[in-house]
Amino acid sequence: MGTTRMDRRFFLKTAGAAAGSAATVQVGCLTYFKKGRSASADRREVPTTCELCPNKCSAIAVVEGGLVKKLNPNPENPKSRDMLCARGNAAIKQVYDPDRLKQPMIRVGARGEGKWKPVSWDEAFDFAAKKLAEVKAKYGPEGTLWSSTEGFQEVFFKNLGLAFGSPNLVRHPTLCLASVNLAYSATFGTVPSFDLLNSRYVIMSGANRFESIITPDTMDLIGGVMERKAKLIYLDPRFTVTASKADEWYPVKPGTDLAFILAMIHVIIAENRHSKEFVAAYTTGFDQLVEHVKQYTPEWAERETEIPARDIIRIAREFSDAAPRSLYYAGRRSSWYQNDFQMRRAQAILNAIVGNWDQLGGMVPNAKLPKGEFLFMPWDEPKAPRVDEIDKHFPLAAKGDGVYLKLRENVLSGKPYPVKAWMVYKQDPMNAMPDQAKTLKMIEGMDFIAVIDVQMSDMAWYADVVFPESVYLERTDPVEVMPGIWPAVVYRQQVVKPIHDTKPNLEIVQGLAKRLGLSDYFDFTIEQWVDAEFKELPIPLAAEHMKKHGVWAASGQPSYGKTLTPDHRFVTKTGKIEIFSERLQEAGYDPLPVYSAPKQPPENRFRLILGRVGYFTHANQSNNVWLNEFMKENDLWINPKPAARMNIKDGSYVTVTSSVGAVKLRARVTEEIRPDCVFMLHGFGKKSKMQSLVYNVGASDAVLLETAWDQVSGNAAFHETFVNVATA
Amino acid sequence: MDIRKRRYALVIDSRKCINCKACVVACKAENRVPIGDFRNWINEERQGEYPKLRIDFEPEQCHHCEHPSCVRVCPTGASWQRKDGIVLVYADDCIGCRYCMIACPYDARYFDEESSTVGKCTLCSHRVDKGGIPACVETCPSKVRVFGDLDDPTSRIHELLATRRYHVKEPQTGNGPQLYYLV
Repeated sequence: MGTTRMDRRFFLKTAGAAAGSAATVQVGCLTYFKKGRSASADRREVPTTCELCPNKCSAIAVVEGGLVKKLNPNPENPKSRDMLCARGNAAIKQVYDPDRLKQPMIRVGARGEGKWKPVSWDEAFDFAAKKLAEVKAKYGPEGTLWSSTEGFQEVFFKNLGLAFGSPNLVRHPTLCLASVNLAYSATFGTVPSFDLLNSRYVIMSGANRFESIITPDTMDLIGGVMERKAKLIYLDPRFTVTASKADEWYPVKPGTDLAFILAMIHVIIAENRHSKEFVAAYTTGFDQLVEHVKQYTPEWAERETEIPARDIIRIAREFSDAAPRSLYYAGRRSSWYQNDFQMRRAQAILNAIVGNWDQLGGMVPNAKLPKGEFLFMPWDEPKAPRVDEIDKHFPLAAKGDGVYLKLRENVLSGKPYPVKAWMVYKQDPMNAMPDQAKTLKMIEGMDFIAVIDVQMSDMAWYADVVFPESVYLERTDPVEVMPGIWPAVVYRQQVVKPIHDTKPNLEIVQGLAKRLGLSDYFDFTIEQWVDAEFKELPIPLAAEHMKKHGVWAASGQPSYGKTLTPDHRFVTKTGKIEIFSERLQEAGYDPLPVYSAPKQPPENRFRLILGRVGYFTHANQSNNVWLNEFMKENDLWINPKPAARMNIKDGSYVTVTSSVGAVKLRARVTEEIRPDCVFMLHGFGKKSKMQSLVYNVGASDAVLLETAWDQVSGNAAFHETFVNVATA
Repeated sequence: MDIRKRRYALVIDSRKCINCKACVVACKAENRVPIGDFRNWINEERQGEYPKLRIDFEPEQCHHCEHPSCVRVCPTGASWQRKDGIVLVYADDCIGCRYCMIACPYDARYFDEESSTVGKCTLCSHRVDKGGIPACVETCPSKVRVFGDLDDPTSRIHELLATRRYHVKEPQTGNGPQLYYLV
């Protein structure tokens, strides 16, 4: 049969070629037709860097007929290693999304009403500059707030805020992983990477690495668990994909992970299983720890965590036996509880006492690569103190990032001073911050709001003017160095010209700067900026290489143990790894992690827990048509036992109510969650009608979440909200 | 390159699948698959009672069978098989009768409303013919699928099938499916 087909194809080919109507494809000795595949003489392949999440994977864009047709993975990047996840593949739809912002717009109706007037760039710039000048005249430059999240062009936005004279830059970390960063910095003086590729024993608390985001850590773990027989212990109130792949899953009682860790430390010290040489040579405060953890027995921890004491003891033994190739993994989005910093500190201490610092299969301080800098005119330091009073309330927190929730409280109260203009780049505080009603109140209080984004986020929906940014495939961006065990440099270059009347962020910033009299600070092109960065890269012919490959990775094996020399000074107060932290003590915090039991939900209420799925990045991309196919709305996970009690049927609508808001969404009655929690996914229930696939579909967790934060880092505490659930 | 000496197949290690859907989107982009239709997909099985639970994922697509029933039932010969085993639909000859969709034991085909023809996985033959690998195989973060030539004794899939236990789905149909699932 195959033969006759081929013969017939051959016949058709001859006829077709005679007609000259279609291209032919050569296959072996036979030539046959391929309909619809043009000869694609204009086919180009452009290496670039994905922007759909913060991982910075390298991609090769295939362009045909001026359109991006496909994104292929680029194997040269050690931080993406020949893979692109669902989001990365779907970035094409970001370009051709009918919902995307296509020209600058000024609001004409009430805020949030969705009435917009398309305007020219000049008009939009003039309008924004006038408003900013008004606020500055009335309240000073500190009366403006500059919110942004991670992105290669974020630097220009931040610089505009600083040049404008505002101290109030606020970034995403306190809605994300500020507690991890601070806890590891407080202990080791730096935030290390985790060598999952070589680890033999990994413990994770809630870091849902097989499901919520796909990075090399995910790939290393799959390889580790499935091929190299590494053991994965996983704690999560929910049975996630990671739980399903783990060797052991413990549905830990929410908020008690710290008890589990402290009991592990108790066992390791009681059984003399810690690394004595390492502790003596590189750490300080171990003796205080010995006394401190005596109270935290496995039997006590069993009552707190609902993890059997015998398992805690066994895991502690296995963990220390596998050291230094064992890890308590830190994870991302670490913002759960008000004691989050201390829980992360305990992990860091546990890792330290078994001596897995700077070891193969342990924690490794990040190797860095140098990069050139474009030198521009410096500006004066802002004179006013920050509105979030970070120095007073969070003396150890990262000043440049600010503290989101405290900032909102202070802006709402108008103390210490009024903030009346809100500039936003790439961030969606409407969904990212807990308690949406409060965020709306903050929006109401603003004299002026401008948003720069590629899509009409919920934040943009409430803005006065919206500046459409070109999507990443339409932009050339600054060079990014990715420190790590295998450090690399990535470059994002323009793949196609903008298809709408959009601009890269730098040009938007320049347009505003010009009208604000700040042009001198932004008197360069992206090419000049990038060239300056190329100059100091440790790569021969850096510019040519980066344009051709899009990525450069240091070759060779990583070197472990660079910090394990007698004269190495850790960037801590004592120059040692600080188990007991004097710095914390001086700032008024517990110098060693002290456990306090979390509040439990009253009867018939549930703890609301949150999570992500790797099809979407936070509240982004749920409106991407290729990704929305996998999940059209979010639902509320509830265990069958309480569901039966309340007569909640799978797929039926329920009303979920907290002290600050209520939402309606479908119930998912599932065995895969503890009976005392309910879970919902982030990124649905949008208010913006220009997110047409998810506008008013499902629900936004931000509506329900109460305002709470970690005491030390100021990180939002996202798992402290109790909710009522009832049939709708 | 002589295609008559090749027999393409996929070996799938389902345990490594995390249901991330990268393969599904890569296929959608590579092959312009319409919204709502899929040339590959991931089966999901969830079982157990809290806290004894289990989730299994299993990627699937056209099995590019040795004796494809879809080809047998096609009244116009639009469904055909290359000598290297790849089963294709020649759209010009497809009259949209959908017999092949009923005949396929794996439900691997879909009806494209726009062109009124049947669509299915081509094993990215256009990439393979240029020495490449299918888009789903390439993009996968955990490299669940291994693509290769069964007739090449040096290939990775040859080695895997020689050294690992595996099964095929619905062997009783006599179709001779060429998606090999490692056990």
